[in-house]
Amino acid sequence: MTAVDLPRRRSTARNGWYWAVIAPPILLGALVAGTALGETPIPWEIVVQVLCNKLLGTEYPVDRIDAGIIWNYRLARAVVAASCGAGLALSGVVLQALLRNALADPYLLGISAGASTGAVAVAVIGLGGGVISMSAGAFIGAMCAFGFVALLAHVAGGGTGLRAAGVIILAGIAGSQLFNALTAFLIAKSANAEQARGIMFWLLGNLSGVRWSDTVSVVPAALLGIVACLANARALDAFTFGADSAASLGISVKRTQFSLIGVAALVTAVMVSITGSIGFVGLVIPHAMRMIVGTRHRALVPASALAGAVFLIAADVLSRVILPGQVLPIGVVTALIGAPVFAVILIARKANT
Amino acid sequence: MILSCENLGWSVKNKAIVSNVSLQVETGEMLGLIGPNGSGKSTLLRMLAGVRAPASGTVKLADSPMSSLRQRDIACKLALVEQHADTEDRITVRDAVELGRTPFLSALRPWQGEDDQIVNRALDAVDLRGFGDRIWNTLSGGERQRVQIARALAQQPEILLLDEPTNHLDIRHQLAILHLVRGLPITSVIALHDLNQALMCDRICVLQDGQIVALGAPSEILTVQRLRNTFGVCGHFITDPYDGTPVIRFHSAHKES
Repeated sequence: MTAVDLPRRRSTARNGWYWAVIAPPILLGALVAGTALGETPIPWEIVVQVLCNKLLGTEYPVDRIDAGIIWNYRLARAVVAASCGAGLALSGVVLQALLRNALADPYLLGISAGASTGAVAVAVIGLGGGVISMSAGAFIGAMCAFGFVALLAHVAGGGTGLRAAGVIILAGIAGSQLFNALTAFLIAKSANAEQARGIMFWLLGNLSGVRWSDTVSVVPAALLGIVACLANARALDAFTFGADSAASLGISVKRTQFSLIGVAALVTAVMVSITGSIGFVGLVIPHAMRMIVGTRHRALVPASALAGAVFLIAADVLSRVILPGQVLPIGVVTALIGAPVFAVILIARKANT
Repeated sequence: MILSCENLGWSVKNKAIVSNVSLQVETGEMLGLIGPNGSGKSTLLRMLAGVRAPASGTVKLADSPMSSLRQRDIACKLALVEQHADTEDRITVRDAVELGRTPFLSALRPWQGEDDQIVNRALDAVDLRGFGDRIWNTLSGGERQRVQIARALAQQPEILLLDEPTNHLDIRHQLAILHLVRGLPITSVIALHDLNQALMCDRICVLQDGQIVALGAPSEILTVQRLRNTFGVCGHFITDPYDGTPVIRFHSAHKES
């Protein structure tokens, strides 16, 4: 890319229609690829035939076992991965923009720590007497932790400026540490080795058990994130030079921070409750997309959502094929890919300036 | 009177930063805000800009209490250039200046060609034509300051508040910015450190320990006595042989003899 064609490409990327046109085919392609690839590869034609049978009512003759794997297992999994990737990436975009901190990620607000405490409380301690699922427990735990962090930030609050952002980050660290300690305490006190291993797997992010029923929560959560971010793209832009600058540009700072951080927390909590805490997506994807499409949110929001979705589908495929006969936690894959990619971005960024 | 405040107060940990400030800014004037470090200039400007809610007192914008106005409506009339506005984002100059159009845009009023022209004019006004694609972190301190001023101009405000806008600027751009502000057909309030530059203002407001100690025309306000009492320096007025305007020459405060 040369300095000359960069601005032109930026302005195309900023056009809303551009994303409305390119996102669906890319996403569809990624979903089909995520469904076709796996430990036992299934030919593309069969994947497409099964999808047509299910979605368009055609009647291609396909093997019923193949159809079952494709539809019930792999496609559901790919849809959850895509939603989760989009949701986490957008949460990262929102938190990095509003808190003016490059290291902000969706788990900054204590959400993954709270989710793990909730999940452990249900799975190991048996809280809820079997009525509450592990996912519901994780969601409740996540919201409790976020409530704790938000309350702490509010009580210790420092107005609207950089100090307020700093207070939120510190409150998030305190909340995360507290809930992580609670989780460790519960595991040490009550879990047997088998349970501990299961919890460990869940903590690192895991798509093994997901089915269509899980899409009922993650797909709307991802859509909520996309709509909220697109509707507030200009407000997010206005925070570029800090909260005071946003206020002088006519942004209602408190309302924007409250509602968008709330949405980010809710989206993240839904994702974490289904898949466990998949790291690195929410941190790396927004940075990578800023490098490619620039800092304006009209382009950054759709680009991050799309990239997050595709990235997590790819990570899920890798997690299934990297070790024959074994499924890795997807969080391990995202970090294994994400950390080097992030390092390259940091170095490239330095070289560019 | 377009912007005014009554009994404004702000304090941090029981230390009054601004107290009991009442001020009426006249339509079309250039009001200089001067005072030593820590005298409350920035805090007062932020309260006047509606960015910070005053702890006590009220700010009125065109006779409406600012607390009753929407942030967006304030931003359509009033722009603020902060002293330390910085970002780690790799935003381009043009994108940064385009932010100035934010209060005017909505789903019903998308970006139009008119906005591009306003942004172009703002870039021209601060001598940054051709800088549009430069990335923020490659700019010098003075160029960044000019970007912020262009951003404020893109808001097409009726009132422009500037917090030490000539900091970081070379002398040519210092004068260019001051003459630019002076020549704008709008009301401006400008915090300044250079007292010779303050002489260009229509009126000067002197802050000391968070309170207004003098307000009026520069020739009445900036006296040898005032320089000694408020700034702790000894100043002598001499006359510029080029155009006959007064110039202040400063010396360290003499011991009372």
